Amino acid sequence: MRFTFTEEQNKFRQTVRDFLQAELKAGIFVTKSGGLAEGNNQEFSKKMAQRGWIGLTWPQKYGGQGRTYVEKAILIEELFKVQAPVAYHFLADRQIGPSIIHFGSEWQKEYFLPRFVKADENMKFCLLFSEPNAGSDLVNVATTATKEGDFYTLRGQKVWTSGGHQSDYGWLLARTKIDSSVPRHESCSQFIVDMKAPGVTVRPIINMVGCHTFNEVFLDEVKIDRKFMVGQENDAFKQIMAQMDYERAGMERLLQNYPVYEKVINYVKEMGKTRKGDPFYHWVQDSVAQLEIEFNIGRLLCYNTAWTIDMGRKPTSEAALTKAYCNQYEQRLNDLATRVLGPASQIREGSPWTLYDGEIADCYLWSPSYALQGGSVEVLKNIVALRRLELPRK
Amino acid sequence: MEFNLNEETKMLQSSAEKFCKEKSPSPFVKNMIKDEKGFSEAHWKEMANLGWLGLIYDEKYGGSGGSFFDLFILFEEIGKTQLPSPFLCSAVFAGLLINEAGDENLKKTYLPPVIQGEKILTIGLRNEQGQYDHAAAALEAKESGGGSYVIKGTRILVPYAQVADEIIVCANLKGEKASGPTLFKVSGKASGLKKTPLNTLTGEKTFGVVFEDVKVSEKDILGAIGKGTTYVDKVLPKVITLKCGEMVGGLSKVLNMTVDYVKQRIQFGRPLGALQVVQHYCADISTFLDTSRLIAYQAASLIDIGFPCAKEVAMAKAWCSDAYKKSTQIAQQLHGGIGFTEEHDLHLYYKHAKVAELDLGDSWSHRQKVAEEMGF
Ligand SMILES: Cc1cc2nc3c(=O)[nH]c(=O)nc-3n(C[C@H](O)[C@H](O)[C@H](O)COP(=O)(O)OP(=O)(O)OC[C@H]3O[C@@H](n4cnc5c(N)ncnc54)[C@H](O)[C@@H]3O)c2cc1C
Repeated sequence: MRFTFTEEQNKFRQTVRDFLQAELKAGIFVTKSGGLAEGNNQEFSKKMAQRGWIGLTWPQKYGGQGRTYVEKAILIEELFKVQAPVAYHFLADRQIGPSIIHFGSEWQKEYFLPRFVKADENMKFCLLFSEPNAGSDLVNVATTATKEGDFYTLRGQKVWTSGGHQSDYGWLLARTKIDSSVPRHESCSQFIVDMKAPGVTVRPIINMVGCHTFNEVFLDEVKIDRKFMVGQENDAFKQIMAQMDYERAGMERLLQNYPVYEKVINYVKEMGKTRKGDPFYHWVQDSVAQLEIEFNIGRLLCYNTAWTIDMGRKPTSEAALTKAYCNQYEQRLNDLATRVLGPASQIREGSPWTLYDGEIADCYLWSPSYALQGGSVEVLKNIVALRRLELPRK
Repeated sequence: MEFNLNEETKMLQSSAEKFCKEKSPSPFVKNMIKDEKGFSEAHWKEMANLGWLGLIYDEKYGGSGGSFFDLFILFEEIGKTQLPSPFLCSAVFAGLLINEAGDENLKKTYLPPVIQGEKILTIGLRNEQGQYDHAAAALEAKESGGGSYVIKGTRILVPYAQVADEIIVCANLKGEKASGPTLFKVSGKASGLKKTPLNTLTGEKTFGVVFEDVKVSEKDILGAIGKGTTYVDKVLPKVITLKCGEMVGGLSKVLNMTVDYVKQRIQFGRPLGALQVVQHYCADISTFLDTSRLIAYQAASLIDIGFPCAKEVAMAKAWCSDAYKKSTQIAQQLHGGIGFTEEHDLHLYYKHAKVAELDLGDSWSHRQKVAEEMGF
């Protein structure tokens, strides 16, 4: 047991911090919560690429750095504390790259991985998993990929596609076997789809924050070369199970609202200067101390999950438990923030008397999304119950 | 103890339910957010004609001398559909303040048009942090000779200020003879008033109002100088209780929407509602609804019969604030992605619950009051 970082890890953290501080100073980005899915700052991604910070954990032969997941967690922690604009490469780095490394063909590895680690043009990905009738029940996807010679033809509809309107490629789950005698989870495959291909239509969905970040995607007779299928035909769910752990494992799940947390702490410190004896101050202080405990536990969970991966173990239940915990922490944080800051926290961006330019209000509106995307809290708890605790299914 | 509504109240409830459903379907509510006025003039007239606005006022002012409990029932129905209007700020809050503090002449001048919906009043009691500060108002009224005063300061979250004929404020009066927190009515067109629309979570029409040396006269004073806090504190329990009514209404809608949705949404080959965890969540919302309704009905009913009920009102607001908000959070979770869209209606309630929680004291501040009432 060691709850401190090595000297090398501390140095790495400092390097990342220095870089980010310089970028902040230069006005390259501003720190504001809630915008993870937004923005497409390829320039920033390129700077990270130059430092070897995309594909940090990937093997060197694919252009990665072969570093540990704990180091990756350090990197992500620093990036998210200041809400660096990582959207351009984030998905490729977090899960598309690792999936290609594990399951992709030689061609896919050669084509995509070097471009990912360099943050090249036209390399932004989105996830085409969910459908109107396949949310938690992902094996219910109805989009089909029909093999015709060297091509597959895609027909169907996807939904909730974050960043679909800004992406170059979609990572798609589709049915490749239409045979009711085959279990549904053995009849799907994964594909890489060019989002500009004929037949792909992306339609915006405005969310309850009032933003356009997710979309509906229609696939109407989209022809794709078979070389864009990833892994084995009909093996998608095995692959996804492995991939999901990486999607869920990350430190970002704790830190999407870190600036809110910082603001609340600073606000309470200010309050303490004038309202020490006020009962409200005592309540606030106690609540923030509770958040601090929750935050620190979340951080330990994230590092523990990263370390589990470094130990060569599958982090399925750790990742599920960690994500469920962190999602709920973030929801409590945003709720509490509005109460600590009081009624003016309801005033949104651009209006006078707003607090932190509406960031607190917006974050309260973003809150419901955390416990849904990337596996709902209930589905994650099912995983903990069934996999870790081996509770009976029936 | 008796838990049934009497026949008259039931009739009022069902006509109010019909009215709100008909007039205030969700597309209308969403349109009103973008509308400059934020409510429908036609609805407003009808509400006046139905006698809603004057329900609790004396017949000599054009009211119907009805019961406060019935008014509560109206607000519960309004909360179900989120029907937007200046009802609470004008015909309740401002009206009650005038009724409480005003002399007979003022009441005769103001209450009838307010009850008929011809005049709209609003309330500016919240400081720049959005807190009600009538006990130590940051708004100042200085004597400027000849029985006039100059009001200076800022009020925010002033509902419907753009259409208000008068804004009622509590200003800290500094005079030679008398001083202290004092209620004033300020014409909505007074020079020196600067109104800025605020974009808030709910999108309800609300404003920041800056008073740049606004001139008023002693005729604009409501009641006695120095007694502003007392008047407001007298009226607040009623306003708080009606806010609870709105919340109970919202909560009941949230329960219905959620139960309907989990019955109809199929995942894993069966309705979500067949999953026990989902059933428990729904049972939790149902518990939040029943408990909120009981504690709020209790407050409304005690106010109605004139029993002292400071503790009951505080308990109601503390409980409803948490219960409604938590219910909307559970509902969001059970609705999945669809509930996170602007197109869906659930967010109207998620937002309303948060704003209602923060208005008029949240659960923390009302628990404080409960503790005080317990003698701590
Ligand atoms: C902001 C946002 C961004 C998203 N981005 C993407 C994206 O980029 N790509 C993509 O493919 N998808 C994306 N999603 C979709 C997301 O993965 C789904 O919302 C999620 O899988 C839940 O599916 P659903 O919305 O259909 O809800 P449902 O599956 O209908 O679930 C509704 C509720 O029922 C509960 N529930 C369902 N099944 C069970 C069960 N067996 N046991 C207990 N409870 C259960 C769920 O936990 C949830 O609370 C995004 C969603 C959001 C909100």
